[in-house]
Amino acid sequence: MADAAVAGYAEALFSVASVEGDLSAVEDELFDFAQAFRSNDELRTTLADDNVPAARRLQVVDDLLDGRASATTSSLVAMVVGAGRAAELPAIVDAFIERSAASRNKAVATVRSAIALTADQRERLAAAIRTSTGKDVEIRVVEDPSVLGGVVTEIGDDIIDGSVRRRLNQLRESFR
Amino acid sequence: MRNQRNRLLAAPLLALVVLVALAGPASASGDSVGACMAEHLEAHGELDSHLLHDEAVQDELEKCFEAPSPILPELNEIIWGGGAFLILFVLMVKKGFPAVQGAMDARAERIRSDLDEADRAKLDAQSVKSDYEARLADAKAEASRLIDEARGDAEKVRADLVARAEADAAGIRERAAAESDAAKAQAIADLRAEVASIALGAAERVVQSSLDAEVQGNLIDAYIDEVAGADG
Repeated sequence: MADAAVAGYAEALFSVASVEGDLSAVEDELFDFAQAFRSNDELRTTLADDNVPAARRLQVVDDLLDGRASATTSSLVAMVVGAGRAAELPAIVDAFIERSAASRNKAVATVRSAIALTADQRERLAAAIRTSTGKDVEIRVVEDPSVLGGVVTEIGDDIIDGSVRRRLNQLRESFR
Repeated sequence: MRNQRNRLLAAPLLALVVLVALAGPASASGDSVGACMAEHLEAHGELDSHLLHDEAVQDELEKCFEAPSPILPELNEIIWGGGAFLILFVLMVKKGFPAVQGAMDARAERIRSDLDEADRAKLDAQSVKSDYEARLADAKAEASRLIDEARGDAEKVRADLVARAEADAAGIRERAAAESDAAKAQAIADLRAEVASIALGAAERVVQSSLDAEVQGNLIDAYIDEVAGADG
């Protein structure tokens, strides 16, 4: 049921964004908003709380995105939050981005790194992934200080972990 | 019974016959001395002094002085006495003897019955006694068996308790040893984890301090090269 709802909302977002004609920009803005939603407990609690009036939640969305995102992005976020699906927003955004990439015959590679990747690094990483997996991917970078160093790439259920954190964890395991 | 009765009748009849047979002499000398002398003198005619000095007459008169039998009664007494005796005897035979005989038979029968009853009672008592003795023997055997059984049960319980106590003690010792080993292992593991944590914390701080932008970029480049080098 939840998966069906996520897929349905993702499809709706994709349809609206496609019609509005700024699909790539909407993808980037929704991805950034989803990352902020994941990392900010207060924001997550406020938008997912059914006891908070819908108008108040929409006002929060409007305050956050006003001037920082397109009208299409704001409307789509407001639609999801207004429908009481804020808790599923990250999953809906992920599904939407995968749906958009699929429309271009590409997969989504979520890359977590301690620092942002340069454009060159993104291109080389996409090429390297294509070489190793045979998939055309679009790189989505998430800055995650817990990685410490290196990169963790997630493509669907596949994970390529080259982080310093993993090596420290391996070291920790070897001590046991 | 009949022989006894015949013998009883024969004795008085024999006595009666003897009395009648001996009644003759008694009746011959049964008159008084004066009558006897008068009779003899009259037989010799007229009485005179010569007659009294005649030796033959004196001998006859001497006989009159002979005393009557001290045993034999007079004939009439014998007749009356014998008649009375016969009447009494017949009455005794007809009435008294059957009554006495019946009483004696009844008494003998009662005594025999009492003896039989006593024998039966004795037999019954012996039977009861043997029954009680048998029951007593059974009770003693049962009591002995119960005692043996109880003793066996007690021994079994004691053995079980001892075995259980030994098993419990062994279990406690094993658990104590296992807990001791586990505590020892846990302490070693905790110590090792603590040392590892301290070492890793120090390593992480060193790594973080050494991860400047250049190093980060190099790590990302190395990662990209690694992914590109990996084949499928």
